[in-house]
Amino acid sequence: MHDLLDDYAHANALRDVSPRLKLSVGLASILLSVSSPTPAAPLFVALSLSLATVLLAKIPARIYLQLLLLPFSFAGLSAAVVAFMHGSGDVLLSLPILGYSLSIREDGGLLALLLIARTLGGMCSLFFLSLTTPMIEIFAIFKSLHMPQSVIELSMMIYRYIFVFLDQAAMIHNAQVMRLGDAGVRNRLQSFAMLCAVLFLRSWEQGERLIVAMDARCYDGKLELMEQTGRAGRGEVAAAATYLACALAVSALTWSAGGLRLL
Amino acid sequence: MTAILQCRALSYRYGDGTPALENVSLDLEEGRKVALVGPNGAGKSTLMLMFNGILRPSQGQVLFRGEALGYDASSLRDIRRAVGMVFQNSDDQLFAPSVYQDVAFGPANLGYAAEKVKRYAGFALQYVGLAGYERRPPHHLSGGEKKRVAIAGILAMEPEVMILDEPTSNLDPASSEEIMDMLDELNCGGKTMIISTHDVDLAYRWADDVVLMMDGRVAKRGSGPEVFAEADLIRQARLKPPLVVEIYRQLAARDLVDGSRPPAGVLELCGLLEKRWSGPADDKRMGRICILSVDEGEPGRAEMNAALQDAAADCIGAMGSSAKILAEQCGINLDFTYGVIDKCILKALAGRDCLILTSGGMVQHAQKRIGEYCRDLGREISVQRLSAPGQTTKSLK
Repeated sequence: MHDLLDDYAHANALRDVSPRLKLSVGLASILLSVSSPTPAAPLFVALSLSLATVLLAKIPARIYLQLLLLPFSFAGLSAAVVAFMHGSGDVLLSLPILGYSLSIREDGGLLALLLIARTLGGMCSLFFLSLTTPMIEIFAIFKSLHMPQSVIELSMMIYRYIFVFLDQAAMIHNAQVMRLGDAGVRNRLQSFAMLCAVLFLRSWEQGERLIVAMDARCYDGKLELMEQTGRAGRGEVAAAATYLACALAVSALTWSAGGLRLL
Repeated sequence: MTAILQCRALSYRYGDGTPALENVSLDLEEGRKVALVGPNGAGKSTLMLMFNGILRPSQGQVLFRGEALGYDASSLRDIRRAVGMVFQNSDDQLFAPSVYQDVAFGPANLGYAAEKVKRYAGFALQYVGLAGYERRPPHHLSGGEKKRVAIAGILAMEPEVMILDEPTSNLDPASSEEIMDMLDELNCGGKTMIISTHDVDLAYRWADDVVLMMDGRVAKRGSGPEVFAEADLIRQARLKPPLVVEIYRQLAARDLVDGSRPPAGVLELCGLLEKRWSGPADDKRMGRICILSVDEGEPGRAEMNAALQDAAADCIGAMGSSAKILAEQCGINLDFTYGVIDKCILKALAGRDCLILTSGGMVQHAQKRIGEYCRDLGREISVQRLSAPGQTTKSLK
């Protein structure tokens, strides 16, 4: 269970940096990545935030790469489809299959590259945020941004019980595997269906117990929030600002250059 | 003694008509340690849930300080503040995403000002020895830590009565002893404690009053030795006699000890044996017990070490969270962290010198316990109260 993002969020070298600053950097990077018309800016974001996550926050590189592999493989697949199906321009690559020729044209290739770059940039920003900032701090920021109280409280409880149910799901799964519930596809499907059904019932019961627990402590519509931790130091703000300025500059430069042709 | 919680002809039926409690009448006195024992389904948990108005009796009444519980919102609020309940499964109780938020939940909902909420929550966390854990999420805590947080969440509301459903289930032996020690400490501070348990040894040793429940009724109520003397009843209730009682019975049957009164614990059993076998003229050297109160001043590492040198004890025990925290800060190697008084008496009987680090009301508690023991068995153990090490420096300033 130690490979949960949450565990790293609570124990990393950037844990005590102001969560507001981390959130700003993360969000700005995501926006920059997905809005950029060229792959340069998202790739810059991905590279620099990956370095920050691994070198500054001291998240083990192996774990980080494993995390990235999942979204990257998705992006790779969709990019392949886009590359072959899309666009006009010069043919870059042509594969003869059963008499037809399947080819990547310039536009399609660019679009595929952009897709991969954007996904990578966005995911790196998201991982930077989720690996360095515990949820409770983000809830506190939500509160100061005047998010509706009920939304915050609901998300806090959902967050808390994710882990309770994760444990339960793991236990149910073990109980099934112990009695060969994973032998064969048919069994596996059936076991999975049972797991879902039991988990649903348990969450229902847990909900009822939650009401009792809250009532027993005089619930009156108030869920305390953590105070926010440390203000951002000048150096940290300067570093974040420099990084964002660089990313913006890369984006703006490549944009004004009319979209760099395949770098 | 005044009764703090009373049940008058209490009955409760589940929605489908199955009876859970039938005609239970029970008076619980203030400042006592009460253990509810009985088989699964005897109605222990149901009874506990009535004490702070979570369940409403089908018939009969629950009285708190002589007044019948009301079931309107404001009466429920009052009773739930005064009677706190710690659930068996900590995950049911800890619903907030961080330790601090969970502990602050009660005070915040009682409408305290932000500053007061913070103070109360901080105090409660300090008391259970988890200061510094504020930002941890509950799923990063061990079972014992979760239980402590659950207790802190109740403590922060300053209850007069604390109810704990199976406080030691799923805990390792040391954690459960530490939790029980903490309950002792709270009881010393005047809180009435009610627990339910399947652990007969625990109930026997810890409780002033044992309430044996069976099929939704109170089958027997009395001190541990009284209740567990009823061998037939204990068997019917699917319990077993505590180990001490079992050993005592076998010894008494072979006429190795006086069989008139079962001992309250290991310490008393040893006393009985010694009384019979070594005679009153025993002039074996007895150890000395020093009690060091740590709550005055804030002794530093050097001062504590000097105090330890003075005491020249063979074994050191700490009672209460503040003493344990201090010992950890000062790098003192503790021999006992639970059941400290009894263990120190046993060591003293074996000729060793002991030092007990403790605080507040626990000092008197320790002195009283040692005094009672000496009186009962006609032995003399010298007890010495040491002045707190921080005091001297404080007066110099």
